Amino acid sequence: MNSHPYLRAYLAGIFVPTLVLPILLTVFIVVRIVLKAPVPIEQGLIFPMAVVPLLFGLWNMLWLCSHKRTHLPIGVHGAILPLLMAPTGALVATCLGVLEFGPAGVVWFHACAVPYALIAPCFLAVLAGYYLVWKYIVGFLNRVLGIA
Amino acid sequence: MNEHVEERMKKLLRQALPPMNSDAGPGRDLWPDVLRRLDVNLAAKSGASFSHGWAWFDGVLAVGIVALVAIFPAAIPMFLYYF
Repeated sequence: MNSHPYLRAYLAGIFVPTLVLPILLTVFIVVRIVLKAPVPIEQGLIFPMAVVPLLFGLWNMLWLCSHKRTHLPIGVHGAILPLLMAPTGALVATCLGVLEFGPAGVVWFHACAVPYALIAPCFLAVLAGYYLVWKYIVGFLNRVLGIA
Repeated sequence: MNEHVEERMKKLLRQALPPMNSDAGPGRDLWPDVLRRLDVNLAAKSGASFSHGWAWFDGVLAVGIVALVAIFPAAIPMFLYYF
């Protein structure tokens, strides 16, 4: 059970985004194909489909690599990830035309307007969500796979 | 005389001790049970359960996220985008 620990860490890391992905695809099919809404969701799928699972897997491998030196709890380690992902995701979304910066706030998918005053609470909620996901789901999987 | 005693001793011993073949061991392999018990003990010691270390603070965070999404549903695409 001690062989290939980094492979197991990667697989444990990509578990959550892989589970969320079918939900995103379902939302995409319902909104774009069934409801025929003029919202460019497909452009925004690139980041969650390609980048987020990869980052989750690599981040868990990094935790496994650095845990003996840092002794950082896995929840805290996971909560640091949005600090890296938020600017990256915003940059990708802006380049793809999914995210627009307006005078009063940002607009996602040309439809969902988020005022600037709510950016900070939303970011804190993302941090909290990542903390919980990493502490309870990724940490649980790491223990099950024998790498924690 | 000695031979007689010896024969008697052999007879008594055969009566006292059952033949080896009739009690060679359990009828099934016990090793899987041992492994299963070891796994259960290791899992209990390492705390490999989903609710390991659940704290009230985590509950507050979860409630906060749900409340934010309920109050401001326009943030849902952003949450989905980052997961």
